[in-house]
Amino acid sequence: MSTPALLEVRGLTKEYPGVRALAGVDLDVRHGEVHCLVGPNGAGKSTLIKCISGVVDPTEGTILLDGESIAGGSPSAAIGRGVATIYQELDLVADLSVTDNIFLGHEFRRRGLLDRARMRRETTELLRRVGHESIAPTTRVSDLRPAGQQVVSIARSLSHEVRLLIMDEPSAILDDSEIETLFDVVRRLTAEGVGVVYISHRLDEISRIGDRVTVLREGATVVSGLPASTPADELVTHMVGSSFEQLFPERAVGGGRVLLEVRGLQRLPDVKPASFELHAGEVLGIAGLVGAGRSELLRALYGVDRRDAGEVIIDGEALPAGRPDRAIAAGMGLAPEDRKSQALLLEWDLVKNVTLPDVARFQRGVIRVRAEREAVQTQLDALHTTPSDGSRRARELSGGNQQKVVLARWLLKECKVLLLDEPTRGVDVGAKAELFRIVTDLAREGLGVIVVSSEIEELRGLCTRILVMREGELVAELDAAEASELDVLRHAMPGTQQMVTSGASESDAPGKEA
Amino acid sequence: MSTTSTDAHTAGERSWRLALPSTMRLQEYTLVGVIVALLVAGTILKPDTFLTTDNVRAMLTQASVVGVLAIGMTFVIATSGIDLSVGSIVAAAGVAGGLVIDSGAWAFFLVCFGFALLLGTVNATAIAVGRVVPFIATLAMLAIARGLALQMSDKRPISLISSEPVRWFGTGEIIGQPVSIWIFLAVTVVGWILLNRTRYGRHVVSVGGNREAARIAGVPVRRTVFSVYCLSGLLAGLAAILLSGRLASASPVSGELLELDAIGATVIGGTSLAGGRATIVGTFMGVVVFAMIFNLLTQLDLATEWQQIVKGVIILAAVLIQRPERI
Repeated sequence: MSTPALLEVRGLTKEYPGVRALAGVDLDVRHGEVHCLVGPNGAGKSTLIKCISGVVDPTEGTILLDGESIAGGSPSAAIGRGVATIYQELDLVADLSVTDNIFLGHEFRRRGLLDRARMRRETTELLRRVGHESIAPTTRVSDLRPAGQQVVSIARSLSHEVRLLIMDEPSAILDDSEIETLFDVVRRLTAEGVGVVYISHRLDEISRIGDRVTVLREGATVVSGLPASTPADELVTHMVGSSFEQLFPERAVGGGRVLLEVRGLQRLPDVKPASFELHAGEVLGIAGLVGAGRSELLRALYGVDRRDAGEVIIDGEALPAGRPDRAIAAGMGLAPEDRKSQALLLEWDLVKNVTLPDVARFQRGVIRVRAEREAVQTQLDALHTTPSDGSRRARELSGGNQQKVVLARWLLKECKVLLLDEPTRGVDVGAKAELFRIVTDLAREGLGVIVVSSEIEELRGLCTRILVMREGELVAELDAAEASELDVLRHAMPGTQQMVTSGASESDAPGKEA
Repeated sequence: MSTTSTDAHTAGERSWRLALPSTMRLQEYTLVGVIVALLVAGTILKPDTFLTTDNVRAMLTQASVVGVLAIGMTFVIATSGIDLSVGSIVAAAGVAGGLVIDSGAWAFFLVCFGFALLLGTVNATAIAVGRVVPFIATLAMLAIARGLALQMSDKRPISLISSEPVRWFGTGEIIGQPVSIWIFLAVTVVGWILLNRTRYGRHVVSVGGNREAARIAGVPVRRTVFSVYCLSGLLAGLAAILLSGRLASASPVSGELLELDAIGATVIGGTSLAGGRATIVGTFMGVVVFAMIFNLLTQLDLATEWQQIVKGVIILAAVLIQRPERI
């Protein structure tokens, strides 16, 4: 194994104010190898590939490609040096042809006009190289299946000279037969000597396509260069780690009356029929990987997205589909995944943001502005929002305080069921602990809270029960006090089903009952 | 990561805000300055005719038609929409009312309002129910309503000279001031209360500011969007009555380019075309500034074609001032 490395990453660090996204990552990729990169959400995988592909400047550390430093360049410089990146969301233009997509931005020209014939010839050549000459260069991309689009994406990356190909969860949108197609393409490229960095949440893929595997956790390399034959169980153990911060207040016990009943709630393809109950005084966690359908479940439940089938019953009252206003009137409140784009009017002051769902209560003919301001101020102070001045614009607040503004909104509305989608995303550790305390207090007061989070530790520390979602389905219900992070991950990860044995802490999956 | 860039952005903005409380107030202060500057300029250039009671009254009377439309336009633009059809609706509503003038003034008022509201509702339906882009839906209505006005009137103006109540809106006075000025002021005050002191107003601005967030907060988005085009239509009906009263006739070619004046006044007032920020006070001042500029230009014998050019340049400059800080 004395082959010099194609890619050599040493001590890579990336700091954002207050956050260390990468804290010393090492990685080496050989010529012609498929190097898999795994780690839980937020482990720093995306930041790492952004550094390699020149999108982000690392704070410290070196990135060598064939011995030549490429850190701190631009994306186009990285492409020029032979680093191609295929992101999870395909960035093709759906209405353009295969050829037009492949040469978008670097079209061949002859005497000022597009040299269409030459581009078509080159396209055919590229498609042959990845083994898909059956795709006609003139096909519109929107007419191709996801796997076909992926092939076009790869072919496009090959229209430049490629030495290193980075693929971010390429299989996430593909079904099993399509994945095989993808693997064929990858094998062809590695046979040409191209090195591949392959990110995936599906551990079963690693042994099928990978040569070696590196595990990241909390921005650092845990183990690097393990053989791809390493058992999935062992990889999961590496991903979990052991640090368990004492951020959490005493757990909400639940056990009140049934507040919310969900029966066969479905919104295909993201949410397969889901049934569960939420009790007063309970914090119910929903765990799962990104893309497992957790946010979609909450949105369908709340009515932002229309459900295909199923019932949502809150305190005995059945909610109509696709009517958030009715859900709110019945006592539900949603703090969505993306505060900036889904919850707040950033140019508005805090007062108006808080009262938006319920401003009518201050209106006697006209809105009593002073009463409104005072009521909001009480809520903001109770939540220790800083700045607490209600006339500040929402844009000026930090992530954690923006989240408090959203919470204040639903507390003022006196809601019974609170849905929190990734409540701690973009929130620093101190504010996290505060949010946990607020959520637990609310549950003690008799609210039912549902928390969707990618941070399993958070759910384990905060929740009464944890439901695990995988590929749109509720696959397990765990007692949060007893379940280990490993238990949750085993259920959450596709390709690990065979390892799931009937452990003590798991009961039957509610989704399977339906 | 997005948090980081926003933090940096906020820090930069904060130092900017030390000097200037907020962009909206900046624009309103600017407008007060412009009005003062115009008063000074007018007094110097035309000392005998500009700052006289008669001329001020004439300016405001002229401004009232555009003003009524601009208040409605403010609600539409607050939802990040646009209504290009108001000028044509003014003509169509006036003509429709004129057709029934023989049945009495009340028939005229009723049909005027009713027809304008009907056309506004067609806009509303196309946009809120049919999900047609506001620009296109109201552009189509611009053509349709003008066509209707010409067709219904056989391309001839309808005289309303015999109707005392209709002419009262053009020539009548309340407490010594023209009726149309009072109506413009009343619409402005009601519009301000509606926008700033009612749930409906909050809903309107939230829909333009962040439609998804508004929906999640339980705002009936479609109903709100629907309502602003109805409101704009209704106010076009009112504008038609004011205009007919002043001209003592209902002309199928009246109201041309009124939508330009209404949109222009709204935008130079500081209401954001992107939605989410609306100011009735700004719109009111925008209308007044427009009226003063054209009154002054007319007194200085600048040809109307030049006035058009000046108008366009002012609107462009206003939009440049309030353009987003980043794209």
